[in-house]
Amino acid sequence: MLELRQVFKTFNAGTPNEVRALRGVNLTIDDGSFVIVIGTNGSGKSTTLNAVAGGFFVDSGTIAIDGTDVTSWPEHRRASFIGRVFQNPFSGTAPSMTIAENLALAARRGRPRGLGWALRRSQLDEFRDRIRRLNMGLEDRLENPIGSLSGGQRQALTLLMASWLKPKLLLLDEHTAALDPKSADQVIRLSEEIVTRDRLTTLMVTHSMQQAAHLGDRLVMMHRGAVLHDFRGAEKQRLRANDLLNRFEDVRRADLLDESAAAMLRRLYV
Amino acid sequence: MLLLIGALTIGLILSLLAFGVFISFRIFEFPDITTEGSITLGGAVAAVLIVSHFSPITATAAAFVAGALAGTATALLHTRFKINRLLSGILVMTALYSVNLHVMGKSNVPLLSERTLASMAEAAGVRVLGASAVHLGPWEIGTRDLASLVLSLAVAAIVGAALYLFFRTNIGTAMQAAGDNDQMIRALGVNVDNMIVLGLAVSNGLVAVAGAILTQYQGFADVQMGIGMVVWGLASVIIGEALVGGRDLGYLITGAVMGSVLFRLLVAVALRGGLNPNDLKLVTAAFVFAALVVPGFVRRARRQRT
Repeated sequence: MLELRQVFKTFNAGTPNEVRALRGVNLTIDDGSFVIVIGTNGSGKSTTLNAVAGGFFVDSGTIAIDGTDVTSWPEHRRASFIGRVFQNPFSGTAPSMTIAENLALAARRGRPRGLGWALRRSQLDEFRDRIRRLNMGLEDRLENPIGSLSGGQRQALTLLMASWLKPKLLLLDEHTAALDPKSADQVIRLSEEIVTRDRLTTLMVTHSMQQAAHLGDRLVMMHRGAVLHDFRGAEKQRLRANDLLNRFEDVRRADLLDESAAAMLRRLYV
Repeated sequence: MLLLIGALTIGLILSLLAFGVFISFRIFEFPDITTEGSITLGGAVAAVLIVSHFSPITATAAAFVAGALAGTATALLHTRFKINRLLSGILVMTALYSVNLHVMGKSNVPLLSERTLASMAEAAGVRVLGASAVHLGPWEIGTRDLASLVLSLAVAAIVGAALYLFFRTNIGTAMQAAGDNDQMIRALGVNVDNMIVLGLAVSNGLVAVAGAILTQYQGFADVQMGIGMVVWGLASVIIGEALVGGRDLGYLITGAVMGSVLFRLLVAVALRGGLNPNDLKLVTAAFVFAALVVPGFVRRARRQRT
């Protein structure tokens, strides 16, 4: 469904702020699989998601979704394949527009938009039905501007909007990191429910080892702009939060070793 | 009474300017200075076409197209060439000054006895009323003035309604969202750059139509007529928002018309009361400054009290 091949990206190349964010990412994701992505800060996990979504163009390598090479497609064109939920709960909805209008916008994701009415009566019932299933009491507030809702409510709606048209690929970018624990829990349960029910191919970045251990059928650990570990099937199911923490500890020690080894070599040879 | 009718008419004509400013400033938060050039462009194009005996309706439609092109130019400078929003508008506005002089051939085009929307309205008025003036209590009102008022009211109502309906369509809501949260709407498959181009084209098209109708109403086009018009339109939008309060689009569009009319009335009264016309733009600027700043002060004062 998704295939990244030898993807490289360097930001601010040639300046003192140069960041080699992606250094040869290779990742192939099967149809219907739910992949968790973890990694240290600066490991390139969010950058990878952004590269797939088209937030920037990669320096080299190819990205293909459902067999279509989208490497040179701008972000809005890739949207026909992709549903997204952002880390910032305010990023995924238009605050001054109503809940109904936001949903109507999402119901035409990647489709041509002409002079037809945005809101049709027939749609409103479906909106209400699916919002009721969020269990947030929002079904009677379709006419309220989304800006008046809490971060958790907005994130739940963004999730509903992103999955409305059953995207070929769902990207969740640390979408609970900015929420309070209760809302985060609610949104995570909702994510799991939607992904399982619609069998959506999903790529989810998270900081939470609990989420990483419990969710998904495959886990990818990134480090220094590339995939370091890749656990699937039974191996993924056996993973516990502690195992993941141990892996992070290994990475940290290896990093230290790199530096101390470099220092030693410098002392010896330079 | 004549003063009142004149102020009402100009207020209604300039509500098209307020719509344009509403789209650029409020929907896109794009401080679009092109407005100053495109209102003159609309007046110039309409005047020149009318003098060459084109129908006033064709002339007004041509003004819309010319204004839309000016707006497109500004939008492309910003989206394609990544020029700062304010500077894009300034560049096009400056260029338009020369363009307008070329279109008109001189700095002022009078429409003395030409067939204009105003004279067409007058003819229709005379046919309906059967007289060239009507008595309203103690006042005698020229049919031309009355007919112009009715026509400008109709234009403001029709354009306002069309705008409202447009913002309820798929493309209209997408445009609103592009101004509200561009990241979100991009992720839903909308090309935000195209929305800005379309928005500024419509905005400046409406502004140019305001210029075209104003020219036909006052009987001349002048290369200076655009100066201060952005602030003028902004004042109308701000007054309108204060009048209607709500955030609903229908209210805001109605508010823009009300704001434009009220602002024009205030100006007429102030001038009547002895305000030096030379000070008008200074006072207008001070007014918009106050309207932008005072609400913040009031909020802070209230918070300190509680």
